[in-house]
Amino acid sequence: MDDGIEQHLAAGRHARAFDLLVPAYRDRVFRLSYSILKDRAAAEDAAQETLVRVWKALPGFDGRAALGTWIYAITRNTCLMELRRRRPQVSFDDPDSAEAQHAAESIATGPAEDPERDNLLRLLETLPRNQQEAVRLFYLEDRSYEAVAGQLGMPLGTVKNLLHRARKRLMELARPDEVKAA
Amino acid sequence: MNDPTLMGPCADYEHDLVELTDGALPRERAGIVQAHLAQCARCKAWTDAFAAFDARLATALPQPVLSPQFDARLRERIATLSRPATRGELRARLEHEHDDLIGTLARAARRRAVLGAAGSVAASLCVLVAMRDVLAQHAAQLQAVAGGAWVLPGALGALVVVGALAWSARAGTLPLLGFSR
Repeated sequence: MDDGIEQHLAAGRHARAFDLLVPAYRDRVFRLSYSILKDRAAAEDAAQETLVRVWKALPGFDGRAALGTWIYAITRNTCLMELRRRRPQVSFDDPDSAEAQHAAESIATGPAEDPERDNLLRLLETLPRNQQEAVRLFYLEDRSYEAVAGQLGMPLGTVKNLLHRARKRLMELARPDEVKAA
Repeated sequence: MNDPTLMGPCADYEHDLVELTDGALPRERAGIVQAHLAQCARCKAWTDAFAAFDARLATALPQPVLSPQFDARLRERIATLSRPATRGELRARLEHEHDDLIGTLARAARRRAVLGAAGSVAASLCVLVAMRDVLAQHAAQLQAVAGGAWVLPGALGALVVVGALAWSARAGTLPLLGFSR
């Protein structure tokens, strides 16, 4: 898929390369942004910003990294800047942080038709940030470990471990009464 | 208490069972794990519970999609960036850059001046303290030579030196102290 894009890039046809790149990457850039920002509108803005940055930087792309790796790195940076802009003092690794509380509240204020679903999402907010991101992205990417590893810029084994720990913990948290009874 | 899902799976198979549920286990290994599952009630119960939980989680998580206006919005932004800037935009951009540059230079000059002045005052005080000790040691000798008349001019001279150093640093002309960039 990237071959055609890279051929255009090598030939200096950046606008043509960008035209091919957008449909190939925009959804994945959006999903990666959503897994980090946890907000659809913010993720869409971040995807826009990422692709504009890609467009500006495309003439300088030297091909040392794979195109996807490069684009996902720009996406992650864009999202981290957005997180910093929102709350400069917050530690996002702390599940008790104001950000985590805010996110949990925003879920609680959503449609209360499915308390079990709300509870599951609230429990997800209690996990460390990197586990949350991996879990969100994993299900957005049709359970592809490779896609998650590529987009988060992590080795495959690390992603498998993150997902394993996260889901095992969630499963335990989702049935505390049963565990206590045991 | 006897619920096998609460005891967890066999440790050797736990990761494999998760990957099997995700459909990511290589075929050869999947065969071995499935053979184990067929004879291990604990692993079977845990895997069933995990699969049910996995399905619940997949349903619970939002599946957001891009808005239909995304491409049009992006094209518009790219078009704005691509078209040559008008004279007014160029002028505004240059003025903005100029203001930024002036602000940066002014901040750097202020910082240098404050550090320079503080450094020169501290250095002068150190010199005065050192001189005071020397003078105290030789006070009797000096008094015999000059009859005490050296004290006032000496103090005035020291004040002038301190003032000159501070003024010089404030003006940013004291590079020897190492505070200037």
